[in-house]
Amino acid sequence: MADAVTDPTEIAEIRKSRFRILVCVDGSEESYRGLRYAARLGAGEDADIILLYVRPTDQGLRTGGLQVRVARENMLNWGLELPGITYLKKGRDMLIETEEQAALWDQQSAHTDVDGDPLGDNKIEYRNESGKSIVLKLKTASSVAGGILDQYDLGPYNLIILGSTEGQGSFVKSFWDPAVAEKVAVHAPCSVCISRDLETGHGKLLCTDGSERALDMVAKASDLAKRDGSKVSVMSVAIDDESQSDAQSSVDQATALLQSRGIIPSDAFIKTGNPVEEIIKAGADYSFIVLGDTGKTGLKRFFMGSVAFKVMEYARNSVMVIR
Amino acid sequence: MNFPRATVTEIHDKLEGTPLGSLFDLFSDFSIHYVWEKRWFFIALAVGAAMVLGPLPEGLTEEGMIVLAMSVMATIMFITAPIPLPGVALLIVLGQIFLLGIDSSTVAKTLWNDSVLFILGSLMLAVAVVKQKLDRRIAWLIVRITGTKTTRVCFGISAVSGLLASFIGEHTVAAMMLPVGITLVTLTSDDPRKVRSLAAVLLFSIAYGASVAGIGTPSGGARNAIMIGYWREFFYDPSNPETFKYIIDYVRWMTFAYPMFLIQLPFVTLILFFTFKPEYRDLSRAVVKLRHQVESEGAMNRADWVSVFLFFLVLLGWIFVSDDVGMGTIAVLGATAFLVAGLVKWEDINSGVNWGVVLLYGAAISLGIEMKDTGAAKWVAESFLSMLAPLGADEGFGLWAAVSVLTTAVTNTMSNGAAVAVLGPVVLNMADVAGESPVIIGFITAVSSAFAYLTVVGTPACTIVYASGYLKTTDFLAVGWKMALTSTVIMLLSAWLYWPLLGV
Repeated sequence: MADAVTDPTEIAEIRKSRFRILVCVDGSEESYRGLRYAARLGAGEDADIILLYVRPTDQGLRTGGLQVRVARENMLNWGLELPGITYLKKGRDMLIETEEQAALWDQQSAHTDVDGDPLGDNKIEYRNESGKSIVLKLKTASSVAGGILDQYDLGPYNLIILGSTEGQGSFVKSFWDPAVAEKVAVHAPCSVCISRDLETGHGKLLCTDGSERALDMVAKASDLAKRDGSKVSVMSVAIDDESQSDAQSSVDQATALLQSRGIIPSDAFIKTGNPVEEIIKAGADYSFIVLGDTGKTGLKRFFMGSVAFKVMEYARNSVMVIR
Repeated sequence: MNFPRATVTEIHDKLEGTPLGSLFDLFSDFSIHYVWEKRWFFIALAVGAAMVLGPLPEGLTEEGMIVLAMSVMATIMFITAPIPLPGVALLIVLGQIFLLGIDSSTVAKTLWNDSVLFILGSLMLAVAVVKQKLDRRIAWLIVRITGTKTTRVCFGISAVSGLLASFIGEHTVAAMMLPVGITLVTLTSDDPRKVRSLAAVLLFSIAYGASVAGIGTPSGGARNAIMIGYWREFFYDPSNPETFKYIIDYVRWMTFAYPMFLIQLPFVTLILFFTFKPEYRDLSRAVVKLRHQVESEGAMNRADWVSVFLFFLVLLGWIFVSDDVGMGTIAVLGATAFLVAGLVKWEDINSGVNWGVVLLYGAAISLGIEMKDTGAAKWVAESFLSMLAPLGADEGFGLWAAVSVLTTAVTNTMSNGAAVAVLGPVVLNMADVAGESPVIIGFITAVSSAFAYLTVVGTPACTIVYASGYLKTTDFLAVGWKMALTSTVIMLLSAWLYWPLLGV
């Protein structure tokens, strides 16, 4: 592309002004459901959608010392596509079909060599006249979660969407091999949306505790709601009967904030009990449960003491953690 | 991740605001992720320290305890891989020098023997063979014999994969035949959803065909070479003609194990068709297109013939002269011949072989020999046997089954060569103590280590076909347990009925 901007700081500056969504695709139905939502969220001209497939690097020991690349090179010799490419292409077809005719998109590809892999990192960027871009990225990394987080460092994103991995929740399992989604949600510096049986159209449930961060979350969530045009409800949980009035005032505060931003919440209520259980129960009727990150850093976030992470771990539907 | 949360955050809250608090935050932010990422490394170290510092059990020397602790630590790290696995190998070397006080040259000597040379040579040979691009011709040969019916094509693929893998190793064959399987799938239909079961059947035919064959000959896999090395190391005494039967040569191994592979072969196809029920009963569309692809390549050229010739030369070398010069020598000779003939580039070999694995096997075998020398293996064997005694599994058929189950369990969690290297000294000592034939127990261990059908990482062939992206991890579970069950039954039957006829 002739007018491509090459200066890294300039690129970063341009990227800051755009709404960038990173969608992690692994070929599963769930990840495509997340992508469909991303397409809706990123329909505006100022949004970019980046599709990412992370392939773990080869592990020679597992294959008795013969590198998997020998097999992969052999596949390439036969003219066969490596896994991941097909998944990304399917994702692209979904996006471009839902937006405009493919002819309007300008195509550009880039390649970075990665040691120990015949393909390395590959990127195809589609850009239309108004500067909106869709990027397909095939990345190689030692672990899937690590690859997704590395990708964040390459360009800031506003939101990471990924499908949940099956069978998480138990302590033993997470100690053994923390699920990818969980790991990304803990470490990512931006908002993370974990799609789980995602069915759009049921609106979002914002959970507030009246704190500044929660209000910040409500503000950001209202921006998202403007983008995807979904309904918004507000809830707060009181731990016991005495704190019900606090919870009610939190809800009122959030409602007022939403109204000031031009969004009328379709519902606002409080519940009493264990926050995690109540949120999961009430959230089941909505497309998303939206939570603010509790703002704990380092150690605290690492041990995931917050309600947000517990909800993320145990909820049955999609969860969005806003940062 | 529930347990330390309360206390850690409590400390954090108490220190909040003080200089100590910010130091604590700095430390925690910086190191906690590191410690968490490497938690298994530290757990292994703690277990090792506890074993060495704890009271010494009766019948175990101090050196024995150190070696045993090293083995346990190495096993934990093999399974969980908190640090790169060749790093574990280096730790084993360092442990022998620092903890046991063995001279570094002596340790270095135990790292190399014919088994390790064989692993090195056969990996180089594997890359050389895959690079010859004979796969299309092999594929064409298969479909010409079998016709176009899916069942027959699949049986043909597993049979040919198996026959090749029994000599040159399953990883070679899986890497070579993988494109054949995928091509047949993609030529049948472009839509992956329409051919999911067909893809599973074709790819598993390659992987399991190669896996069941890996036991067939000593050169079929690293584990076989390792077991042969252990027999020689543990039981062979040049001054005692009685012990000459512990030298298992190439042909003798084949008489033990090859029939098992041939019996298992039809079961592979049966089980796969029973489990997956492919969408297409006939592959004629794909076969016709495959023929066009092969015809466009033209006739076999001189280089193709030379590589086929060299390949057979290596096979003959293994069968007829490997007992005099060593299997490793033949493997290295074969790899060198391919290089001299200019059929493979060193760069390809260099990037295709994971050299760390050679180091890893060397270190594992070296540790295994140390286990035997310090008496640790014998102690573990005795403890195991006394544990098995109440179950009636401390001798005969019960012991065989116990060894087989133990090996299958271990091999599903780590590479099968490593499993044999770790378990070998213990089970051979168990045989010795229980008065069973070490040859039968050794065979059971080496053969059972091929039964890692359940997981993607279990056998090299499974990992390679999984890398194609056409299979799901759950597919392995769905079909793997049937395979493991069939293989175990066939093996125990041969141990019971067939091997005694061979005079062990």
